Amino acid sequence: MRGRYAIAALGLTEQGIGLGRSDRDLRGDAVERALNAVGLERDAIDGYIHCWGEREDLRYLGLSPNLNWSLSCGGATPTAAILGAIGAIETGQAEMVACVYGIAPTSGYIPGLRDLKSIGSYSYGYPSLYGMVGAASAHALHARRHMHLFGTTSKQMGAVAVQQRAYAAVRPKTLGYGKPITIEDHQASPLIVDPFRRLDCCRDTDGGVAVLICGADRARALTPQPIYILGAGMGQNVVNWHNGTIYQHHDNIAPAKARAFAQAGITIADIDVAELYDPFTISVIMQLEAYGFAAEGQGGPFVAEGGTGPDGVIPTNTGGGQLSGFYATGFTPIIEAIVQLRGEAGAGQMKKADIALCSGHGLNAGVQNTWNHATLILGNQP
Amino acid sequence: MNAGDSGDLLILKQLGADHLDLPFWAGTRREELLLHRCGLCGRHYWPASRCVTHGAANMAWTPSSGRGTVHTYTILHHAYTAEMATQVPYCVAVVELEEGPFFHSNIVGCPMDQIHVGLPVQVRFVVQKAGRLTLPVFTPVSGHDDDRRAGA
Repeated sequence: MRGRYAIAALGLTEQGIGLGRSDRDLRGDAVERALNAVGLERDAIDGYIHCWGEREDLRYLGLSPNLNWSLSCGGATPTAAILGAIGAIETGQAEMVACVYGIAPTSGYIPGLRDLKSIGSYSYGYPSLYGMVGAASAHALHARRHMHLFGTTSKQMGAVAVQQRAYAAVRPKTLGYGKPITIEDHQASPLIVDPFRRLDCCRDTDGGVAVLICGADRARALTPQPIYILGAGMGQNVVNWHNGTIYQHHDNIAPAKARAFAQAGITIADIDVAELYDPFTISVIMQLEAYGFAAEGQGGPFVAEGGTGPDGVIPTNTGGGQLSGFYATGFTPIIEAIVQLRGEAGAGQMKKADIALCSGHGLNAGVQNTWNHATLILGNQP
Repeated sequence: MNAGDSGDLLILKQLGADHLDLPFWAGTRREELLLHRCGLCGRHYWPASRCVTHGAANMAWTPSSGRGTVHTYTILHHAYTAEMATQVPYCVAVVELEEGPFFHSNIVGCPMDQIHVGLPVQVRFVVQKAGRLTLPVFTPVSGHDDDRRAGA
């Protein structure tokens, strides 16, 4: 697996609140940007994987691929799409697969939820009978359990928000650009869904993303800066629902991590930057522990002591993440990894960024509050 | 088995409820909290499930004691919907029932600041949703509502 496939191009539209553009227009824009980046025409794309799905994209985008798949596993979808692309290439179905995402929730539309407007509108089956709506409440159950088991505090969660805002503050085109916050700002922000304050929660943004996946040789011929797929893995948390430990597990990360790191042939000591799926501050704390950067239960103090900062143990969510950058679901971590590995982060460039860990998380499965997890390891060398 | 009148069914359908759970909702109208139990290993489930070890063959609905502890919880302060505006703040908890399963519900009958992980609770039934659906909710077991060492 390691180094045999690569991201040849990234097409990234503007990302922000209330862009006033349709989701499909954003996807079309992203695909064109990706093609232009490596000087390819539309007919080079012979595979199209839509992260989420609907039926009109190919006609509108002017694409005529052999395969057109829709994938949906929430914020784990981008990594699943890359794995699907590799599978298509490996089995001779395609040579250049576009994995494409684009939503415009703050302009009124999320795929599959036409009558709903934002992540705050998600509901979860039977628990919604009790007023449990919104992703914040689902994650708050994990946060409260973590606080109970390990003494994690609101201020420690606040440290995640403050650090990530500091990263975003020097990164143009993020929500947090030029707007640093303090721990006092976090503590003064209103309780939304206890224990989350407003600054523990990310905001929806509109935007489009496309990555072109192909064999490593082809990518090298197209660009001096291919980003190589070093390893990937997935896990599903339902096993922890059945064994009663779901709420102390943000996801079932162990199998995803094990497979991805085995494929890459590395350990976490080899990771230069971590780009973790972070809809809420607790997500970062719990993933730092599950991946082994912090000891179990110590993710809160780890962040509060600067462990995720630019000079910390593991620079994490270096573009501000979803909390302060933008919410392109599972593409937010992958985009920032590509930017860092290419050395294109400007004032936010990390000193060493050759291997990046990305995570994805999504598609709440209902009553049991279990999510898919994706691990993706990217590198700027094969 | 029918959960009740068509109003029940409409509410459940809008939720995307599984018809396999209709006996549960019929049970709540009788003020019974039913769990799905495997007759081979005695393991309890909610909602309707196939036993992870033994499959569907021996699954049957059986009454729960209605007792458990708060495993985790959240208190909602932000009203995402107009309906919620008159209700916040309120508590959604995951109750760990004595028989094992987790059950999402509201904790009622005590101040919000008395709710904590490990709080012993017991079921009570309330008729909600315009009188159509009987919901199990949970209230602290009397005498234990401030015992922070209990359970967990």
